[in-house]
Amino acid sequence: MSDHHSHEETRGIMSPYAARIRAIEALLLEKGVLTEPEVQDSISYMEARSPANGAKLVARAWVNPDFKALLLSDGKAAASELGMAPEHPAEFIVVENTPELHNLIVCTLCSCYPRAILGRPPDWYKSFEYRSRAVREPRAVMREFGFEPPEDVEVVVHDSTADVRYMVLPMRPPGTEDMKEEKLAGLVTRDSLVGVNVPRL
Amino acid sequence: MGGEPGGPIDRSQHEVEDWERLADAINGALGAKGLQSTDELRRSIESLEDYRELSYYERWVAATEKLLIEKDFLSSDEIDERAAEIERRWDGP
Amino acid sequence: MTFEPGERVRVLPSEKPGHVRTPAYLKGKAGWIESLIGAFPNPEEVAYGLSGLPERPLYKVGFKQTDLWDDYRGPAEDYLYADIYEHWLEPERGTT
Repeated sequence: MSDHHSHEETRGIMSPYAARIRAIEALLLEKGVLTEPEVQDSISYMEARSPANGAKLVARAWVNPDFKALLLSDGKAAASELGMAPEHPAEFIVVENTPELHNLIVCTLCSCYPRAILGRPPDWYKSFEYRSRAVREPRAVMREFGFEPPEDVEVVVHDSTADVRYMVLPMRPPGTEDMKEEKLAGLVTRDSLVGVNVPRL
Repeated sequence: MGGEPGGPIDRSQHEVEDWERLADAINGALGAKGLQSTDELRRSIESLEDYRELSYYERWVAATEKLLIEKDFLSSDEIDERAAEIERRWDGP
Repeated sequence: MTFEPGERVRVLPSEKPGHVRTPAYLKGKAGWIESLIGAFPNPEEVAYGLSGLPERPLYKVGFKQTDLWDDYRGPAEDYLYADIYEHWLEPERGTT
């Protein structure tokens, strides 16, 4: 069953929940449960986060072996080093793709995703189809995204069931040996950080 | 959910609407202040009867509302009233 | 720590009501302890406003896909990890 989207730009078909959340906001502010700056800070927090952060972490790891080791052993420390200051208390673990092994991330129980680094997850990541199929037929799922690892590469699915948020460290594409860090970051797609695809030249 | 049969994955992305950003923000602010935990929100979402009919952010709003009422921050009457007022304002004269 | 990396474990088939973070598809399945992730307040209790203390050990547990799904269509070497709390695990040879 697909995730039902009832939103449109036109007022006529807006979700009834739009008015409800605005009502909730107004009431919480009036009662002093939350303040305007607190709500604004929260909006800014999410807007500041995007897959570009993940791309920066990956590109740095590709060019700097010490940073790579840090990223794989203490994701939050590595993110802090690049000024990303993840405030979320959850653990942030980065898993590495190798020539022998390809990682895929999913949260079957809800939609856990490293929002503190990457921002909002894509709609497909939150869909019932992805959540139910990624654990059972990861290769078929990746094929829909245009990626097919060879049969001799192990596919490893991580179901984020608890307080850990996962991100994939993809392999550096061949032919990029002379590329600078900033250009390398441009190759790292959001999809490759979840594991449904890989970066390509 | 995991392992259930499912159809093709819809890879389209809808433009995040302002009310959805607000849903994120309210939950973030409540969490940052220690007024609501991620686990409580998850539990509340899971308890929604129309879980499968609602969209992702609709579930969040419904679950947040449920928690705020449960914790006595707000009443469902005042939310209903205010939401109706807001919709009247949007519909215009 | 109750479990050591490499140890074989089984996920309890418990039908415990309320909020749990053990997916249905893993209940009763056997796998191995990959690592101890850390200790965290029990989400089953935090979900209802309780402190969730004392913190419970959380393990990264590995499962062969062919052990999880009769119809798994990939290579037998494929596997899956889930993060499972200690109180949901027993030694594979243990009895509940």
